[in-house]
Amino acid sequence: MASLKRSFESDPFAQNISSKVYVRSTKSGKVQKIVREVYLRQDIPCSSKLCNSCLKIAPRDAANRPIPFVLSEKPAGTSVFTQGHYIVPDTNAFLSAMDLFEQSSAFYDVVVLQVVLEEVRARSLPLYNRLISLTKSEDKRFYVFFNEFRLETYVTREEGESVNDRNDRAVRKAVKWYNEHLSKTSKKAPAVVMLSNDRDNLRKAKEDDIPAYSLADYVRQLKDGDQLLDMIPEVEERDALIEKKPGQFLYPEYYTLSKMNTGVKNGLLHQGIFNVSPYNYLEGSIRVPAFPKALLILGRENINRAVDGDLVVVEVLPKDQWKEPSTKVIEEETVTKNENPDTEEGSDLISEKERKALQEEAKRTLAKTTEGHALPTAKVVGIIKRNWRQYVGHIDQSSVSSSGQGRKQDSVFVIPMDKKIPKIRLRTRQVAELLGKRILVTIDAWDRTSRHPTGHFVRSLGELETKAAETEALLLEYDVQYRPFPKTVLDCLPKEGHDWKVPASMDDPGWRDRQDLRDLLICSIDPIGCQDIDDALHARALPNGNFEVGVHIADVSHFVKPNNAMDTEASIRGTTVYLVDKRIDMLPMLLGTDLCSLKPYVERYAFSVIWEMNSNADIVGSRFTKSVIKSREAFSYEQAQLRIDDASQQDELTNSIRTLLELSKKLKQKRLDAGALSLSSPEIKVHMESETSDPIDVKTKEHLPTMSLVEEFMLLANTSVAAKIYEAFPQTAILRRHAAPPKTNFDELANQLRVKKGLDLSVESSRALADSLDLCVDPKEPFFNTLIRIMATRCMMSAEYFCSGTQSYPEFRHYGLASEIYTHFTSPIRRYADLMAHRQLAAAIEYEAVHPAVRSRGRLEAVCKNINVRHRNAQLAGRASIAYYVGQALRGKATEEDGFVMKIFSNGFVVLVPRFGIESLIRLRDLAEPEPAATYDAETYTLTTSGSREVKVELFQKVRVRVTDQKDETTGKRGVKMELVSTY
Amino acid sequence: MASSQHVLLSPAELAYLHASLSLTPPIRPDGRSPTQFRPLVAETGILPGTNGSARICFADGTEAIVGVKAEVERTRTRHDFPSLDDEGAEDDDDLDNQHDVVKGDNDWVEMTVEIPGYRDDDAGTVFLSAMLSEALLADGEFTKRLWINRRFHWKLYLDILLISPPLSYPLPLLSLTTHLALLATRLPRLKSEGDEDPLFDDDWAAAPYLYTRPGKKGSKKTVAAPTARPPVTLLVMAVGNNIIFDPSKEELAVADVALAVSVGEHTGSTSSKPTEMDIDTEETKGHHNLRLLSVRTIDPPSRLTPPGIPNASNSAYGANAGAKDTEKKKQQQEQARTTESEAVEGVWKAPRGGAKTLVMAALVQKVLEKGGVADEVLDALDGVDLN
Repeated sequence: MASLKRSFESDPFAQNISSKVYVRSTKSGKVQKIVREVYLRQDIPCSSKLCNSCLKIAPRDAANRPIPFVLSEKPAGTSVFTQGHYIVPDTNAFLSAMDLFEQSSAFYDVVVLQVVLEEVRARSLPLYNRLISLTKSEDKRFYVFFNEFRLETYVTREEGESVNDRNDRAVRKAVKWYNEHLSKTSKKAPAVVMLSNDRDNLRKAKEDDIPAYSLADYVRQLKDGDQLLDMIPEVEERDALIEKKPGQFLYPEYYTLSKMNTGVKNGLLHQGIFNVSPYNYLEGSIRVPAFPKALLILGRENINRAVDGDLVVVEVLPKDQWKEPSTKVIEEETVTKNENPDTEEGSDLISEKERKALQEEAKRTLAKTTEGHALPTAKVVGIIKRNWRQYVGHIDQSSVSSSGQGRKQDSVFVIPMDKKIPKIRLRTRQVAELLGKRILVTIDAWDRTSRHPTGHFVRSLGELETKAAETEALLLEYDVQYRPFPKTVLDCLPKEGHDWKVPASMDDPGWRDRQDLRDLLICSIDPIGCQDIDDALHARALPNGNFEVGVHIADVSHFVKPNNAMDTEASIRGTTVYLVDKRIDMLPMLLGTDLCSLKPYVERYAFSVIWEMNSNADIVGSRFTKSVIKSREAFSYEQAQLRIDDASQQDELTNSIRTLLELSKKLKQKRLDAGALSLSSPEIKVHMESETSDPIDVKTKEHLPTMSLVEEFMLLANTSVAAKIYEAFPQTAILRRHAAPPKTNFDELANQLRVKKGLDLSVESSRALADSLDLCVDPKEPFFNTLIRIMATRCMMSAEYFCSGTQSYPEFRHYGLASEIYTHFTSPIRRYADLMAHRQLAAAIEYEAVHPAVRSRGRLEAVCKNINVRHRNAQLAGRASIAYYVGQALRGKATEEDGFVMKIFSNGFVVLVPRFGIESLIRLRDLAEPEPAATYDAETYTLTTSGSREVKVELFQKVRVRVTDQKDETTGKRGVKMELVSTY
Repeated sequence: MASSQHVLLSPAELAYLHASLSLTPPIRPDGRSPTQFRPLVAETGILPGTNGSARICFADGTEAIVGVKAEVERTRTRHDFPSLDDEGAEDDDDLDNQHDVVKGDNDWVEMTVEIPGYRDDDAGTVFLSAMLSEALLADGEFTKRLWINRRFHWKLYLDILLISPPLSYPLPLLSLTTHLALLATRLPRLKSEGDEDPLFDDDWAAAPYLYTRPGKKGSKKTVAAPTARPPVTLLVMAVGNNIIFDPSKEELAVADVALAVSVGEHTGSTSSKPTEMDIDTEETKGHHNLRLLSVRTIDPPSRLTPPGIPNASNSAYGANAGAKDTEKKKQQQEQARTTESEAVEGVWKAPRGGAKTLVMAALVQKVLEKGGVADEVLDALDGVDLN
């Protein structure tokens, strides 16, 4: 009987075939044995320009030209490898020090092994993406070598060998092969060096005579290595933890993954995103489906090394440990001010000061025994996924030991800009240089033995408080992609550049199915200085007494085709970010401000929504079409307003704007009748000096009727388009929803209103809320209503993009606009969602075929998820930018302003100053020196101080505050500081 | 697949075969000794995608493949299993008690037999699969190996395929192949503890064998004793006073009795007293500690063969030629009746009636004998490389 098994002796190709056998566990709990055959080959080139033998086998492109090799023939040398060298990092090296490889001073000619690339992808997707972009950059010369498919470098897993060990061995084998292979090319061939931070791997490499260094050792060989040293985490000691005595562990151990999974499935444990309270760094909350309200997580031990944003698993504590959310402000930088970063090992988990702060809390809860108020508390028992990113911060001056000099490594604390992030312990040799600078750091680890997470330095952004550093810090902190567009993206632009014109001949393919609307009196109305004009409008009377109203949106989808580099870049950026002095575009300038922008007096492609309306603004009919328009004028809101108000202007264009205004008022009334909310957030504008763009004044934004003119028609266009694309693509339409907020969100505010003002807030529906908000007025204080609206807005959910197949129709509702269905269509230049909606609408009106990218639900969901995040970040970045400039505008000035108390704690209160749109915390200790004693009545929201200063502060109270700018010495932040002058 | 396959032998041939098998010692058509098996070739691990597989070829050209696949399945809560909520409070005590609650369920094994040319609901096929699974499940020890924790177990799918035409009754072939496949079966190594959702080691090389083998590195002790092995079902037949193992198709056609005897190895788990254990080890040195699991009688095809006719009553030989008077006729009729009931030397007569208890006892005895056939077979199978 001939054996059925593959016989390795008899088969001449046997050595080219290998197989991988492993066990795969799927999410659904299935466990499969997987057998993969691996076909090994010998025609994978080493890609060194020195090598001639590989040139023969190099893959060729369609024109039969070999694809050029990557690795330079004269690679840079180091003090050890004077003949030049190539670098082969292992997975660990990339994971722990990706920043190092992105340096432009060193790290050229790097071989990225396939096994390493795959491991990096499995461990961290963001790092993988960074590595991929490195391999694509031409000047860094990173080459991906498919070692797993090359016969000589393939290794099979040995019995009892862990996957990691096997992969390490694969790396070593590849390095060895590279060295042998290159030594054949010339006598002075460059060395191939393995970089690893894994001691075990380094030791084994040494045994096999493979050139290998730890990152630190390697960097020391470089010319300006010392500066790079800080970016390297310590060499990993695999068994370092085991040596520690159990008594030294500060934090409880995490559960095993399987235990967590089982617990979560059984409902004993809960999984969710961990959020830290912005006012109290020792209080976190986590929203889980099983509880209507968020679970509280109090204290260091219960938080158990979770960092804001991590996906964690928590266990609910017994009921006798349930607590009320804290009414006290606890700031990490003040409580843990004098900790020494060097000698923290072995110290107690909870420092004396923290304990004191918490104890007061406990006392208060015990004294009250108000069971109804206590919230379930929980403790973190494990972390599913860390969501660590790079953090912007600065070195805590007080943590720097005075003896620090020379090249010694010092431990210092970095205080992140984001208050929700704990301070990070950092080892650096350049304390002196980094003091007073904004720096970028990453967290490497948080051991059970260490009270604070440890991290490493990435780079310096510049001096604190310089505009460049602060802006970059802001962009980094909100993860805004601000690098210039790469060449691949710019290649997607039309070749004609700024000379591009709408083709004159109507036979041109660009005119296919396009309506010629050039004869319509179309104009655009935007803020002053707007360059990216997304939308334009027209209205004209029809013979039957109705009106034809058109909204014309820049036809971005004509220029940005799905799935090309520009589209991908735009989908990653998601939105244009507006800062006070800067705009970070989603699309390259050429498109955004010229070719797509509906500039006046020139012909432009547009996507038009055209309604027929009667004089009551009821829609009689609507249609959608691609078109060519020619805008007659680009107005600013103010200009348009002046023109409308000027009765002498009776030209057709002005009259059509008046028609639009009339119709928009009716539309708005209808919307409000349907229960649309008019919400509020403090909006201000920073006036800049035109030359230096230094802020000189801050003003609240004015509201003009022309603004709501544009707004109403945009809302109408969005709603019409939403209905149309949902009809065409019930499963995949990109829509925008605003979920009704859970009633509990308003509990606190409703209670505050009832107690303080005797007002009722009804929240049954958006209509009821809108009505009761209208009733929330204080005859003496006109701003009171706005204040309540601001606070109500904060109780709501944020609107989100979604893919229609993921929700049921009733869930589509936009709560704030009181619209059944809604999408974003009108700003494709600055929002990616609008671009998707354009593509879907174009397919819905059969202008073009449905592209797979707008049809695949999985992809659309991913896109929605991303743009939701980007959108939110862009908003936050914009606000932070305003806050920064407000601070700068106030610099050196002290003004007294009216403010309102909008939040109150037992040791401080938050005041909002409407004029600047800023809010700030006034602590008890800011009131007077020494700190006055205070009693806080949580029932009536009243804080009464006694002793050194006697004031009584109530919620919603109008107060007079002195606003100054102040640079906090510990945080290094220039911020607005408020002092209480008097109460009214 | 019925045992009663049509045998193309004339009554005279049958009679001859029967006679030669009844001799002492019997003379078998292929020259084997009564206890000798047909030569076979075996290998395991032929199907890389399965958890375990084997293939056996008999010299007569019959060939079988068995593949074993395992899936994790949630154990249905049963009344005798404590429900999960109750145990939430208990902690470490559970771990100690765990061995007590290791239980199996016959539903955890699904066996399908496929014989080319026969429907899968053919009586013969169903009977074969019933016999094979009965042997496997008889002592309830096997399914315990599939226990993961109180909430999960492995579900084992055994696919037994005869890939050649059924030239002889395939039971022994299928049983031996199944035996080998189970020996070669490995299940992913469990990493999680207690009643958690199971989590497994991704390294296949670390996966322990379902039947752990002594002296083999990396094989962790599972529930039952390490020397255990899956059962084998042997086909034994008796002709006259002779007991013949592994009959070929022709031999089976003249069998007086045919039995399928399933034999397992004594796992020792029932004899928990240390003293008994000592005795066992003494005894089993070099031998297998055999234990009878099940016995089934097989309807031998011989029952359906046409009987031979003695010359006396064969008209072709002129037995009736001169008979004219009624008395002679009557005599002949009586004679014919006796020939129906009594054996006539050299004339084939299909066996009648069931197996005699004594014969059965002798058959079973022969199988279980120390150093007997079952021992020999198991020894031979030990020689198969299981990797």
